[in-house]
Amino acid sequence: MNFPTTGSPRSAGPLLPLRLRKPLLVLIVLGGLVVVSARLCKVDLAEFVPGLAKGVEVLRFFFPPDWSSLQEMVGPALVTVLLAAVATPLGVLLSFFFGLAGARNLSPGWLRSTARTLIGVERALPEIIVLLLLVAALGVGPFPGVLALAIGSVGMLGKLFADAIEELDAKVLESVGSVGATHSQIIRFAVLPEVMPALLSHSIFRFEVNLRASVLLGAVGAGGIGFELQKAMALLEYERAMMAVLVTLLLVFGAERISDYLRRRVLDGGKLA
Amino acid sequence: MSATGLSVSVLAYVPPSVLFRRRAAIIAGVVAFVSAAGIYLNFKPWMLFTDFHHLVRLADEMIPPNVALLWRKTALYQSVAETVAMAFLGTLVGGVVAFGLAFVAAKNTTPHPWLRSVARLGFGVERATPNFVVLLILFIAFGFGPYAAMIALAIGSVGMFGKLFADAIEQIDPGPCEAVASVGANPLQVIRYAVIPQVLPSVVANGFYAFDVNMRAAIALGVYGGGGIGFELQLAMKVLRYPDVLALILLVIVLITGMERVSDLIRRSLLRSDILK
Repeated sequence: MNFPTTGSPRSAGPLLPLRLRKPLLVLIVLGGLVVVSARLCKVDLAEFVPGLAKGVEVLRFFFPPDWSSLQEMVGPALVTVLLAAVATPLGVLLSFFFGLAGARNLSPGWLRSTARTLIGVERALPEIIVLLLLVAALGVGPFPGVLALAIGSVGMLGKLFADAIEELDAKVLESVGSVGATHSQIIRFAVLPEVMPALLSHSIFRFEVNLRASVLLGAVGAGGIGFELQKAMALLEYERAMMAVLVTLLLVFGAERISDYLRRRVLDGGKLA
Repeated sequence: MSATGLSVSVLAYVPPSVLFRRRAAIIAGVVAFVSAAGIYLNFKPWMLFTDFHHLVRLADEMIPPNVALLWRKTALYQSVAETVAMAFLGTLVGGVVAFGLAFVAAKNTTPHPWLRSVARLGFGVERATPNFVVLLILFIAFGFGPYAAMIALAIGSVGMFGKLFADAIEQIDPGPCEAVASVGANPLQVIRYAVIPQVLPSVVANGFYAFDVNMRAAIALGVYGGGGIGFELQLAMKVLRYPDVLALILLVIVLITGMERVSDLIRRSLLRSDILK
């Protein structure tokens, strides 16, 4: 008797083992996306190696760093740090109000959705765009810089604060409210103590982010080490630019270390000092 | 009389608690520091009120946004696609390189402790370098445009992911590695059959997170000359066409939130399915 061949166990097996099908599909889709985006980015593999050689050649112009310019970098470096130091507390304050307004358990629905939308919009905007807009309106200088960093903090911190407040135990708020506390007293005696560790640790982290952003903003006109760097690059003074890069590395590394240490202390002990 | 009066006045004065004094000192210190820094920077907070009309004027010039631009200027689709492509390729290339280097940088898989320190230091230096510095150097090497920006994003992703991946590898459960090694697997086989299956979910999750970060970075790098929608935005700003600027900003917001949704969706379905196992 002739059975159709598909009935036999050997030929019935799919072309590909079942467990490999899905990964293969993922790989094909991924490969297609890579080809399309490589075309869009004008990727030229033939140019990659010579380009890399050229890049290394360019890097040689940066050495040795111009140590004599170190003295002139101290002032701008201080400006960069202080820009972030002034902007972070202002941003934290602003974000705290946004956090209160965006928390489900503290504010009415219309206020919450407005605040959450604003936070989301800010989060979607790269810092540089906020700064360019402020520079267009107010001109260059420390004021637009600080304002851009403070506003830039709202997208991240506002969301984190609002989420931290929403995660509060409802009983805490109820018990303070049940003894007759007003809205602001509830915030002062129930919300603030509970969210303080999260608030502090996020804020310290934000300082680190703001320091990096403040270097970036300097390059667009807010002054500081970013401006020095951009100026040196524009004047083709690469050795001087290298010095500025080294100072930047020092600042960012230092901030990372200090922020790591402070955050660990806050999360361990719940307080800074 | 005097005795009772004295005791009352002594009782009436309650010194502030240690906690209160400490808090007051911290707050006063922060306020003093910020004020001093503000004075040094010549930062004038009242400019918010004295110069507010400038902000209003800018908003006035931008509104209504020239939304028609978004469908009239078809070159914009190209720019949007360019930005997304930059972010995608940068994340993928950077992620793959970082994945390789992470095994060098992780304590339990590194071929040599010295190599580990070198790799970790490299990640640290990369993360601390602002990405526009990398971009400026790449512009000299590869010319302006999305190619240089894509490579800058890839280099940036190596710094960001190398550390995350290496940390993930260091935190794996050593049990499976020992089990695989005990049946005679060589180190590469241990990595393939015991390490990679354990870290793959976190690698994929971090990859999607990096894509979100790189989308924003791709726009920022575009502003510096990397092409894409950021470049269009900067161009419109330079020629003071503010209604176009606002339209492009709206496009950026929609693009970023949209891509975030999409990547979230794909990440969830990937992590839920059994592909990664």
